[in-house]
Amino acid sequence: MIIERERSKFEGVVKAYSEELYRYAYWLCRDRFTAEDVVQETFTRAWQGWNGLRDDRAAKGWLYTILRNEHARLHERNQLAIDSDQELDELTDKSEGTAFDAFEMRDMLAALPETYREPLMLQVIGGFGCAEIASMIGITVGAVMTRLTRARQAVRKLIDPKPLTRAKES
Amino acid sequence: MNCLEFRRLVLIRPRQIAAEQQAHLEGCARCAEYAQRVARDEAAIEQAMLVPVPDGLAERILLRHKTHGPNRWGTLALAASLLVAVGVAFYSHEAPRQGDEIVSAQLAGASQHAMAAISYVLDHEPQLLKENRAGDPKVMRAALSELGLSLPANIGSVRYLGSSVLPDGSRGEHIVLQTPYGQVTLILMPDQFLASRVAVSDRNLQALVAPRRQGCYLLIADSTQTLERVEAMLL
Repeated sequence: MIIERERSKFEGVVKAYSEELYRYAYWLCRDRFTAEDVVQETFTRAWQGWNGLRDDRAAKGWLYTILRNEHARLHERNQLAIDSDQELDELTDKSEGTAFDAFEMRDMLAALPETYREPLMLQVIGGFGCAEIASMIGITVGAVMTRLTRARQAVRKLIDPKPLTRAKES
Repeated sequence: MNCLEFRRLVLIRPRQIAAEQQAHLEGCARCAEYAQRVARDEAAIEQAMLVPVPDGLAERILLRHKTHGPNRWGTLALAASLLVAVGVAFYSHEAPRQGDEIVSAQLAGASQHAMAAISYVLDHEPQLLKENRAGDPKVMRAALSELGLSLPANIGSVRYLGSSVLPDGSRGEHIVLQTPYGQVTLILMPDQFLASRVAVSDRNLQALVAPRRQGCYLLIADSTQTLERVEAMLL
């Protein structure tokens, strides 16, 4: 009876989060076959550790953390290196305002250093707050804020190299 | 709150405008403009990040969970089946090309060119759309420019972008567009010179081959009206 209830709960979690986890996995590895494999393995590991999940509300963040670890394990990813600002500056402008926009935005996001792209993915795809992202990727909340800001500034610079109106200290 | 504080927060969490930010926004036109542009960027970022999810993903996860259970053999079985699937997909995608190349030697003239393009669209495009591979927009832009064409934003969205080997063996830059009039295939061939403009019909598709000074382009759609409308937008 208890097993059936837990299994049913697990199925609900799979249905609720598999799509967004796939998208997160896709942006980590940028290969759809690998992304599905990582998501499959994530749920296998989640079921193995299901008894350890005491709060259902924590399931989403827990799954993202498993997936991130699983991706790192499967692909022997090293500790994320901090990319320099120079790399952001070197991204080239591709803007022209055409039907290529959606394709080019994917290229722009792919060209972002992973350290900037990952917090952005977690916020946009997962809807996580800065503190949750900080906890998941093991950096400070301040560092998450800095990376989110820099990621968006880099994207804006690629879309339109003209600076926006300057902020004044009023 | 001053402008710097407002903009710093907007870049950190563009979807959450706190009451203090809202108050600043109402009194500062420059920051209102800034917030609008950040919101537009954010919508574009979100659209790009929401990549298509394979059909039946949740069902496959649950099926694997029930049939294989949580162990490593399940992973190995899945990996093996994926390898087979990739191999089959690669073979089925590549195999027709050899046949196409043989046929290509027999093709001549613009009308045959158009017929071959229709066959290419029918035979290869469904698989290419599934693979969702992204070509290089720079290459496309260069080919468009060479042919004196442009893709205005109101033409719709790009569904596929890549290089194609056509049945006559020549290379073309292949774009699939989702236009307001339906799906349209555009093949750019900057190095193919043709003397005349030709339109043909085959298997419910219409194809148009149009010469340009620096080459030619092909348009394939399900109606001549769609071809005309989309061509007018390109020129």
